Amino acid sequence: MATTAERPAPVSRLLEELGALERAYSAGHHGRWSAARRAELVDACLIELFESADPHGGVALVALGGYGRGRLSPWSDVDLLIVHDAADPDGVSALAERILYPLWDAGLRVGHGVRTPEECEALAAERLDARTAMLDGRALAGDALPWTDAMARVAGTVRADPRAFAEALREDAERRRDRHGSVSWLLEPELKEGAGGLRDVQLLGWLAAALGGPLEEHGLLRAAEREAVDEADEFLERTRSALHLATGRPGDHIVLEQQPQIARDLGFVDEPDLRAVDGLMRSVFEHARHVEHVTRSVFDRYLRGAADALEVEPTTEGVLRAFAAFARAGEVMPAATLDRIAAVPQPDEIEWTPGVRDAFLDLLAAGTEGVRALETLDAIGLLARLLPAWRAVRCRPQRDPYHRSAVDVHLLGALGNVSRLLDDSSPADPLVAEAVAAIRDPDGLRLGALLHDIGKTGSPGHVARGAAVATKVLGAMGLPEPTRELARFLVAEHLLLSDTATRRDLEDQDLVHDVAARVGDPERLAALYLLTIADAEATGPLAWTPWRATLVRELLAKVEHVLERGEVGADTAARLTQRADAIRSALPSQPPEEVDRFLLRMPRSYLLGLPVERITEQYPLLTPRLAAHEVRTHAVAGRRPGTHLLTVVAEDRPGLLSLIAGALALAGLSILTAQVFTTDDGVAVDVFEVEGAFEEEVADRRWREFRGTLRKAIEGRASLPYRVEQKRAHYPRPRHRVPVHVEVDNEASDFFTVIEVGAADRIGVLFDITRTFAELRLDVHLAKVATFGARVVDAFYVRDDLGLKVDDEERIAELERALRARLEIPAEPGT
Amino acid sequence: MKLVVAVVKPHRLDEVKEALRGVGVNGLTTSDVEGFGRQRGHTEVYRGAEYQVDFVPKVKVEVLCEDDETQGIVDAIAKAARTGKIGDGKIWVTSVEQVVRIRTGEMGPDAL
Repeated sequence: MATTAERPAPVSRLLEELGALERAYSAGHHGRWSAARRAELVDACLIELFESADPHGGVALVALGGYGRGRLSPWSDVDLLIVHDAADPDGVSALAERILYPLWDAGLRVGHGVRTPEECEALAAERLDARTAMLDGRALAGDALPWTDAMARVAGTVRADPRAFAEALREDAERRRDRHGSVSWLLEPELKEGAGGLRDVQLLGWLAAALGGPLEEHGLLRAAEREAVDEADEFLERTRSALHLATGRPGDHIVLEQQPQIARDLGFVDEPDLRAVDGLMRSVFEHARHVEHVTRSVFDRYLRGAADALEVEPTTEGVLRAFAAFARAGEVMPAATLDRIAAVPQPDEIEWTPGVRDAFLDLLAAGTEGVRALETLDAIGLLARLLPAWRAVRCRPQRDPYHRSAVDVHLLGALGNVSRLLDDSSPADPLVAEAVAAIRDPDGLRLGALLHDIGKTGSPGHVARGAAVATKVLGAMGLPEPTRELARFLVAEHLLLSDTATRRDLEDQDLVHDVAARVGDPERLAALYLLTIADAEATGPLAWTPWRATLVRELLAKVEHVLERGEVGADTAARLTQRADAIRSALPSQPPEEVDRFLLRMPRSYLLGLPVERITEQYPLLTPRLAAHEVRTHAVAGRRPGTHLLTVVAEDRPGLLSLIAGALALAGLSILTAQVFTTDDGVAVDVFEVEGAFEEEVADRRWREFRGTLRKAIEGRASLPYRVEQKRAHYPRPRHRVPVHVEVDNEASDFFTVIEVGAADRIGVLFDITRTFAELRLDVHLAKVATFGARVVDAFYVRDDLGLKVDDEERIAELERALRARLEIPAEPGT
Repeated sequence: MKLVVAVVKPHRLDEVKEALRGVGVNGLTTSDVEGFGRQRGHTEVYRGAEYQVDFVPKVKVEVLCEDDETQGIVDAIAKAARTGKIGDGKIWVTSVEQVVRIRTGEMGPDAL
């Protein structure tokens, strides 16, 4: 490496001057002027080096690419070409070394080529980037002839077939878009190569070079477009230079970590609802969107011409209809038609006449091409006039671990995905097909997708704000009530499935019921599922993982089952609130905070399933908390004569229900139904409908006897199997043999195994059954008892000791055998 | 040094995080994982469409710690992740030979 002392004077001077240039402006003010000045400084140094090398004739030094255009960002490559006439190859190599080595030693990034004009032509024919780099070429020093020759050859091929060149440029732009994404919405864009970036600006220059004159003269570029692209060029150059200065190295990928400093450098400050760093990225997006739109229009005007320009009715409705027609035909609207549309005057805020609305819905229904059309509507400023709320999300970056695009682009992406799901005739996910079949109102779903994040305007709480904004927007559109309501619901609940599925316990029945209550009906649930997928897939390539999908589907299936059975509906939440209020007002003398605590402790099914007066009767049994072996009971007359409603409250323990059943049998009471609730803090509230086994009237003595036996059994001072057996001995066996049947159903409920047991009726039959459950560690949540003459058929909703359904075959077989053995009664001998 | 690895139910992750913070853990790594143990896959039905779930979604939590912190961390995770139902997951501990903090180059316990 050369020391400073050996460094040629022009290079030392260049380094000093570059340093001075860098210091002369703050980091955010190195725009195109600074880049041009940098190129001039390098020019001077190179010319001096070239001349001091005393070259022979027939050699030219040429600046290529960005440097050729006189544009050098702080860490741009200095691309050089030495064109020679092949007279003295050794001399040319020596010359190249004398120029390049000092620059490399000084740490400049210099790329170079040494070619004859013929070689230039061959390379340009082979490679598009060589062709464009040479089109930007600028002679710096030396003999004019070789470069004029080379340039004439390269430009000649391009001008001979400008259309082919334009096609090649457009294809290359698409390749760059696939590879680098877009500067107009990616949160970490590639400022140079990304779509809408600096390279796209250059496309216009190259096309002009191929056509041999300014694009305006060819009617391909409007003055306003030139202005917008110029502004974008300046802004993107400043941003790129600031990035180079901030990182101290080449590279045009503006990553999250660098954005705050660059925002400061460019003078962005925090505003309410828009942080400086978001302001920076929003500007980047906006400028890049202009570049994208203008370059696309220019190339389309050139390549497609005005031939297929369409007459468009000069109204908003006409414009939207034209867009919808092209989208339905799967075509992009030609720029020529777009130019006519741009000439149609539009009010700042477009009124939603029925015609405008229907045309807009048509456009939304036009699948992914419809989304493309919305992007164009956005580019020409029409979308924000239709949906003023769009302005707040347009080009707005979002910063979280998942999203990688601007909010408005994410919304259009979600809409596109919903359209794809709706139109997919054979989706990979069979649930999607079922969900699509359940959608009666696709407009509502599409609008929900389009608006789901409309509340993402910078401060927390985007869901609630979004619902409010959507209500307004949907109201203004004058939609039919069901469409409006579905869309509003989707905006308000778009995170419900995903958040619940990944963060909450799906074995919790109350939780599933809550979700079902919020969703309300199967169509909404189906729409929510489709939006959940569409939203995740629009978020990023990694958001809809099999992991997330599995959890969401489990929740989907459970909620669907609840809705299907009609257990809860849209009104459940409201009913619950009403219930709580009714219970509060029915307990006026109780301290309100005690009542609230009570309401929190009790399971949802209890609060909704029992009449208010029952709950208020039972309130004293539950407050204050009971002691370890304490049993509290309460009995009132039942609905039917001779029946009684009995409530038993005790600390929950395995087999409690069988103890109660046994104690009831011993006291001469038959169970008709049993409902079992467990509070959050482990207290069992068992509610029975009972009747006297022997007489209608149930004397106090029987209740006392029941309580006494139960307490003894709980305390371990009475053996119920023995006592029940003793009591049975006094009664005759049934006269007919009654077969025992046991049926185990795991399909009927998502949370319980339903076990139906049929057997001969006799004293303590429920005791026998529940005792068997307890032995096999099964928990009964609900029991329904029906008596048909000498036979009882009981249905039990049970779960295992882990709180899950019973699906262990061995356990089920054991249960069946045990129940049969215990319930089978040999008929009375001799009958 | 030890690596404590826990596979827990997704909905217990917040509790586990809190519990680990409670015992002074400052850093951990989580990942979404799928698998099965004694809790096998199952079949779900939605509107008549049946689909098989072969692997159950879980969250894997990894914590690097000093030897004497291991038990406290294991206990904290076990307590926070427990629901008492099948599928609560597992915790295992392995020895770690070396740890490097990439930014500073610190090694061993200094890098924890």
